[in-house]
Amino acid sequence: MKYAHLVWRNLWRNKLRTVMTAGAIMLAVVLVCLLLTMPAGMDAMLDNFASNTRLSVHNKAGIVYPMPYSFVRKVRQVDGVAGAVAWMWYGGAFEEDGRVTFPNFAVEVEHIGAVFPDYPIAPEQLADFQRYRDGAIVGRQLMTKYGWAIGDRVALKSTAWPVDLDFRIVGVIDEEDAPHFWFNREYLDQALRNAGMSGLGIAGTIWVRAADPRLVNSIMRRVDEMSRNSEAETASETEKSFFSNFFGSLQGLVTIILVVTGLVSLCIVFIAANTASMGVRERAGELAIMKAIGFPRRVIFATLLAEAALLSIVAGAAGVLLAFGLTGALKAAAGWSDVLGPLGNFTVTPFVVVQGLFLSLFVGMLAGVVPSFGAARKPVVESLHEVF
Amino acid sequence: MGDAREPLIRIRSVSRRYVRGVDEVHALEKVSLSIPVGRFVAFMGPSGSGKSTLMNLVSGIDRPSEGEVLVAGQSLGELDEDELAEWRARHVGLIFQFFNLIPVLDARENVGLPLLLTDLPKAERLRRAETALRVVGLEDRVDHYPRTLSGGEQQRVAIARAIVTDPDLIVADEPTGDLDARNAEAILQLLRQLKNDFGKTIIMVTHDPRALRFVDHAFHLDKGLLLEGADAQRADRAVQLAAGGGLLSAQAEATHPGAAG
Repeated sequence: MKYAHLVWRNLWRNKLRTVMTAGAIMLAVVLVCLLLTMPAGMDAMLDNFASNTRLSVHNKAGIVYPMPYSFVRKVRQVDGVAGAVAWMWYGGAFEEDGRVTFPNFAVEVEHIGAVFPDYPIAPEQLADFQRYRDGAIVGRQLMTKYGWAIGDRVALKSTAWPVDLDFRIVGVIDEEDAPHFWFNREYLDQALRNAGMSGLGIAGTIWVRAADPRLVNSIMRRVDEMSRNSEAETASETEKSFFSNFFGSLQGLVTIILVVTGLVSLCIVFIAANTASMGVRERAGELAIMKAIGFPRRVIFATLLAEAALLSIVAGAAGVLLAFGLTGALKAAAGWSDVLGPLGNFTVTPFVVVQGLFLSLFVGMLAGVVPSFGAARKPVVESLHEVF
Repeated sequence: MGDAREPLIRIRSVSRRYVRGVDEVHALEKVSLSIPVGRFVAFMGPSGSGKSTLMNLVSGIDRPSEGEVLVAGQSLGELDEDELAEWRARHVGLIFQFFNLIPVLDARENVGLPLLLTDLPKAERLRRAETALRVVGLEDRVDHYPRTLSGGEQQRVAIARAIVTDPDLIVADEPTGDLDARNAEAILQLLRQLKNDFGKTIIMVTHDPRALRFVDHAFHLDKGLLLEGADAQRADRAVQLAAGGGLLSAQAEATHPGAAG
């Protein structure tokens, strides 16, 4: 501790350089901390988004491969299943866009309410959904985007089926970020038959709601057992897992961002190392005299390294605090605006704080170790010859 | 040297060679000398004569290629780099031409720097630093930073730093080399005073002919050899002439021995 004063004073020898180096380290730590909140934040988003009683069943070969429609009836017979509904991808493109810009599915109107009771849909709208064969329930996000209202008619041109359909909007999923477009499966089935085809005998995904969260695993096992050795073996997963896999490409993006962050951190190490080297070079005369008057190599090394580490840890702590403040502000903003809502899930946890502080300490130690060691190990007579 | 006192320093047949590129440089060749306790001596000679090399060996900064350096009974060749550092911290006070005070520490903190290597509490370290500054006449400058001190004052702070641990030996390398005539005289006077008042043994490497008026004895070196007998007397006289009569006379004496006397 008796050297702390010396270390602190030396740190402020060149204030501008110290502040700029600290700023660079601080910003790197902010960046890393914010990125470190992403995996947990996405997990929290999925937790908010996904029900803990809902699971999806799809073809084991992948979600683009169908299952026999009859399988949904078998699923409904499984113990603990409160409801099951078959979905089929329609791939409809809105004429204004000319391509598929939102997910649209043919669903079983009489079962959808039982499987998605947590979706904010007015009961009378669900009743209309069952009453009108061409009825559609649309998410608020789409309603807002296209300026639609209940009662409007919307025509979609299918990219997956040889029939184009015309819908009447009868209900809304009243959530700001809901992108859904559901319509009656029977409507598509009838259109296919009218076109001379055999009808809709397949299902893309079966959504199941368990009566109790504790029954989810046993239901998944039982459903997959039922399909074993059939033409379409199934793979069941929880809704959270389903969305997690669906957004797999986003996870890849996170990985890329983390790799880039690692490289940025490495650059910061080099910047900090360069600063430490300059500091040591400028003080070559003083360091030579300190060695000459008896300061042992280990003390020279330790004080120089402590200087680099202290700068880094102070800057890192400031970076962690800033990241904490930024995510706190985002959380507060998320409360005021639904658009910013998902950002409220990104929080700097104590674990992220520890990671940020360790990163800054690591940067400081790595940056300081080479110049400190170089300055300390040089014999005193060589140090004196170099500067006098 | 004809002094009855116990030698503090004994140098026995010491040589120092360096390898510089592909060449071997003979910086010092078979030098032997003794310096008793409480003497103020100078190592003098032209550039490249080996006087700084000899100073480095005596102060434990460097080790000889051959021979033995004994200071207060300790053979310095037996100590490794860290042991030498510890030995220097306890026994040697060093003064350099370029003061190299730490600019972010004030005079008191600069002087107290060597005391960080002791177990003394902070209050005691500061008290001793203030005492050392009083000895060199800078008691009113304790809170001043190096940039606010003159060259002479900075050298005084460096001297205070050298004496603060109460070392057996003070070694000064060209202590007046970066000072004007008035400050140089004052520093030489201060060193003399340290010898007289505190009985310190002082070795000074210098080109400055004025130093002869203050030291008890001057060792003259040339091309790595210690001048002895008539050669040493001639060198002594040349320096005395330079100090008293000017550079031209000194050059004449060096060129035509005996002509000036």
